[in-house]
Amino acid sequence: MESLKLDKDKLKDFIAALDSKKVYAPQKVGETIKFAPVNGDLEVSLDFANTTVPPKEIVFPQTETMFLFEQGGTDINLTKGGAEKVLLGVRPCDARAMSVVDNLFSWDIDDPYYLDKRKKITLVGLACLEPPLNCFCPSVGGGPASTEGLDILMTDLGDAYLFQPLTPKGEQLCQLSSELLQPAGAEDNARAEELHREAEKKITREVDIKGLAEGLPSLWKSEIWKEVAEPCLGCGICTYLCPTCHCFDIQDEMEGLDGRRCRMWDSCLFKEYTLHASGHNPRPSRRERQRNRINHKFSYFVDKFGVTACVGCGRCINLCPVNIDIVDILSKVKEAL
Amino acid sequence: MNEKVNPYKPYMATVQEAWYETTGDRCIKTLKVLFDDEEVRENWSHLPGQCTMIGVLGVGESMISISCSPTEGKFLRFSVMRMGKVTQAIHQLEPGDKLTVRGPYGNNFPVEEWKGKRIVTIGGGIGQAPLRPIIEYVKANRSDYEGLTVIYGARTSADLCFKNELKDLRNCDGVSCHLSIDIEEEGWPHYVGFVPSLLMEVNPSPENTIAVTCGPPIMIKFVLQNLKKLNFADEQIYTTLENRMKCGIGKCGRCNVGNLYVCKDGPVFSYATLKNVPEAFA
Amino acid sequence: MVDLENLRTIAKETISREDVKYFIGWREGTYGFSVSPHFVREPAEADKLIFSPLCSNNLATYLTLAEKLPVPRGQEPDTRKVALMVKGCDSRAVVQLLVERGIEREQVVVIGCPCQGVIDTKKVEQLLGQPENVVRARWEKGKIICQLPDGEKEFIKEEVLAQKCLKCRYPNPVIYDILFGEKVEPWCQEEDFQEVKEIEGLTLQERWDYWQEKFSSCIRCYSCRNVCPLCYCEDCILDRLNPTWINRSVNISENTAFQLSRAFHLAGRCIECGECERVCPVNIPLMKLNKKLSKAVKEMFDFEPGLDPEAKPLQASYRPDDKEDFIL
Repeated sequence: MESLKLDKDKLKDFIAALDSKKVYAPQKVGETIKFAPVNGDLEVSLDFANTTVPPKEIVFPQTETMFLFEQGGTDINLTKGGAEKVLLGVRPCDARAMSVVDNLFSWDIDDPYYLDKRKKITLVGLACLEPPLNCFCPSVGGGPASTEGLDILMTDLGDAYLFQPLTPKGEQLCQLSSELLQPAGAEDNARAEELHREAEKKITREVDIKGLAEGLPSLWKSEIWKEVAEPCLGCGICTYLCPTCHCFDIQDEMEGLDGRRCRMWDSCLFKEYTLHASGHNPRPSRRERQRNRINHKFSYFVDKFGVTACVGCGRCINLCPVNIDIVDILSKVKEAL
Repeated sequence: MNEKVNPYKPYMATVQEAWYETTGDRCIKTLKVLFDDEEVRENWSHLPGQCTMIGVLGVGESMISISCSPTEGKFLRFSVMRMGKVTQAIHQLEPGDKLTVRGPYGNNFPVEEWKGKRIVTIGGGIGQAPLRPIIEYVKANRSDYEGLTVIYGARTSADLCFKNELKDLRNCDGVSCHLSIDIEEEGWPHYVGFVPSLLMEVNPSPENTIAVTCGPPIMIKFVLQNLKKLNFADEQIYTTLENRMKCGIGKCGRCNVGNLYVCKDGPVFSYATLKNVPEAFA
Repeated sequence: MVDLENLRTIAKETISREDVKYFIGWREGTYGFSVSPHFVREPAEADKLIFSPLCSNNLATYLTLAEKLPVPRGQEPDTRKVALMVKGCDSRAVVQLLVERGIEREQVVVIGCPCQGVIDTKKVEQLLGQPENVVRARWEKGKIICQLPDGEKEFIKEEVLAQKCLKCRYPNPVIYDILFGEKVEPWCQEEDFQEVKEIEGLTLQERWDYWQEKFSSCIRCYSCRNVCPLCYCEDCILDRLNPTWINRSVNISENTAFQLSRAFHLAGRCIECGECERVCPVNIPLMKLNKKLSKAVKEMFDFEPGLDPEAKPLQASYRPDDKEDFIL
């Protein structure tokens, strides 16, 4: 598919041209950067490192009503499907994360809530030309300009964005605003490729994950887990803000006679996650919980779906209040193997 | 979204009969339920060992094993111990009350593969609930199996489930039933002691036999040890696992033991599989 | 100057005591301005200990966060002491825990570390970005010096210190067994509750709108609760599902209920270490809420928690002259 170019000052018009779909872009909401619907009057800036809250919340909201019912009633009113959405400025790691999570929500039995939203989004990515410090996407199979999961990849060429449509969905989107997009020249493509290569060189953190899937379970009784768990607060930051973490709880909630069954993000680092009603807990301490977190990402998920459930976005490292550093953990694991 | 294929949408069912199996704080109640929708009733099929998410709207759902065999009729039976929020609400249900059912979930005991063999079930407490469908299935297809040995124990005689049915078992041809209680009681004619010891007492031969055990984790641990002493091969031993579950369909994440999801890969596992899973008996 | 040699010697001596289980201090983190709690059990591990303006973590949290795992049959529970390093604010958490009998005095060895304020990494990263290498920092003549990859950089306190430190009245530990370093002169005498007064000056609607915006960001990761040295209930009402006091749904109503419960449960107990605000991944100004309650407690009961180990817990004690004007 041919590459296209959009003048930076036309970004607003480009968004306006997509008016049939809801456009989401990274914005400061309160004190947090997250994906939020673009308000027509607002200048959209794609000048940010990455969002604090990953765009997974668009396809897998933190809280989602599955159906409504009435106290004592027998009618179940399923939540209706949502609208078509465009996510603008998604980082390649977060797009890859969606591809990873697709495996889970579509294996064996389809998850209608996730897949409905997933099928209705178009992901317009933005290559990371200045990867932040704790990014390690190349170590886990990605890269600052990885196209996996994206419909379009944008690259910031300075005064314009290069648009590389990657899927029919991406091409359709480009057609909606064809008068704003101009064909890109060979030199633009070459420049983008060069920028991508330079960006990858800027990534300093790395870890070799070869052999982890097979090796991790052999470290079941390793002291590593104790070391990781000792400072751990047992909070949900690393899992909630992980773009591939997908565990959820289901709860019935009542307001007067109106009831809803909803699902919400849950975290394997919470004690209640595995607590049986009898009081027995198969993962009684943070040691077992952290071990599960790492094993799930780098071993169990690989066994089941053939891909690692980590895209190297670095959020868990950046946001952990006690500096539990997944790259550091994996390096220790590698050493111990 | 297609309503028909939404796996989270439960079917409505009505309690037909309800009775207490045991008394006390953690008492066990059995519900016999029928789906409200005739089509659902007709299309439903399950096998011994499978589970369902049953629940009460406004309270929530719990993963409960189906404690009847499909050979018994078009109804479902659940034996539920009163434990948390949801099971407390289920215990409140009386005939005519509604509950929700999703499923069936998980794998099943390979009762078809076991044809031609003798089956030994070793249960403790509420652990007899998932074993009951095997017993009923074997009874209904009696000529297909070499025999059935039921070993079952509980803390006291009042904690034994399915008492009347167990009495009747003694009259079935080729079926033997061995009961135990943990503590001596006046008038108790059977074994006194723990289930693993009763197993040694009964001393089943491993030849052409399958052993299935279900009960509290500590019991399972010693039953497995004793089955090995009795020379049962890993492949001849089956058990069921339970963990906290929410979705039942391998999405929500919490029920995993190692790389296995109890709700999808289980709840029935052979010891040959489980012995390599470090978290299985946590 | 912080004498790290001396610190490490103290740690080695402390862990070699028969009645000490382990020693908790700080060590350099894995990148940039990061620092990690460090658990010392072997003398060699003591050589990683540091004390610098980057040591924000209130280690008193680990007194109650440590998990009580079942003791294997035939073994005795390990009742030895925990040694921990505390800054002025952290030491108030130890005192408050003693007051509440959350811990007993003989369970801890307190290494008091007079502190000249810790760096707010959010502030300094805004000035400098996230440096690739591990940054060291030190106090020097009232200034903060950061050793950056391209040389040293000097900051005045106001530029980089955490808000709580700029108004710190207790830079010296209020309780300790061993004092590490020399006591410093407090640079603030009076709590003026300026940031509370700013919000109190708004109308009710404006205040409501302000907090609704903040609470709408809350992702309920519970890091604010878990990091708090004084949130140590074994059965927290926020987790309890039977009955459910606060729904797990994340929305403004439940988030508000969560945040207000959290803050109210700390009334008369919060020692203002600011950890909740520091760890919040969505930057909710939680200390403003905590301070509002501190102000009320101060005005109504003339009480400040975490100063006197012999004090009675505010909410568990009654004085005939307690204000009752909230009773209609």
